[in-house]
Amino acid sequence: MALYELGLVLIPELEGEDREAFLSELRALVTGGGASIVREDVWGKRNLAYEIRHKREGFYVFWQFDGSGAVIKPLEYKLRLSDQVLRYLTLNLDREMRRSRKMERRRAERKAKAAASRAEAAAAGPAAAEEA
Amino acid sequence: MSKKKYFVKRKKVCKFTAEGIDYIDYKDIDLLRQYVPVSGKILPRRVSGTNPIYQRKLTRAVKRARLMALLPFVGE
Repeated sequence: MALYELGLVLIPELEGEDREAFLSELRALVTGGGASIVREDVWGKRNLAYEIRHKREGFYVFWQFDGSGAVIKPLEYKLRLSDQVLRYLTLNLDREMRRSRKMERRRAERKAKAAASRAEAAAAGPAAAEEA
Repeated sequence: MSKKKYFVKRKKVCKFTAEGIDYIDYKDIDLLRQYVPVSGKILPRRVSGTNPIYQRKLTRAVKRARLMALLPFVGE
């Protein structure tokens, strides 16, 4: 099980119910494979940085879902064959975030260590002051 | 010093180290734009002062953003 992120750029002509139908089709593909969608970000229409298939706009959607990697293959297959999809990108967020999590853990450890040594110093402080 | 100073050297800092950004998201275009001038090229470390680790991550993020048409491959 891993957390995946899917980025989609759909053609701007796909609107309203058609778009919703297409997205729910994809959603079914994800949930049907035993994964659960954790987050859905819809950016909506944006200007593309460059033309793709003579289109200047794209409809951006980003999903995060948690599940096994078995979902990816049929999903990407479908996206590759769909004319409504200009671009897609799936990332394994767990792999992407590995370093981030490690760094965070280290930072927390260092902080705890610093706090502990400070507490020690504070405990030793009065005694040391007495000695002096 | 008697030599005339023409400019003040500013210390370059790695934003990602300084602010503790570990994961550079390709969707964070405002962040990426700071490292991609209008030409569309990725600023070298020599210019931006980014640490090697983050420069590699930055590069990957920019390339992903380009693929998703969030950033241009070639600018003006």
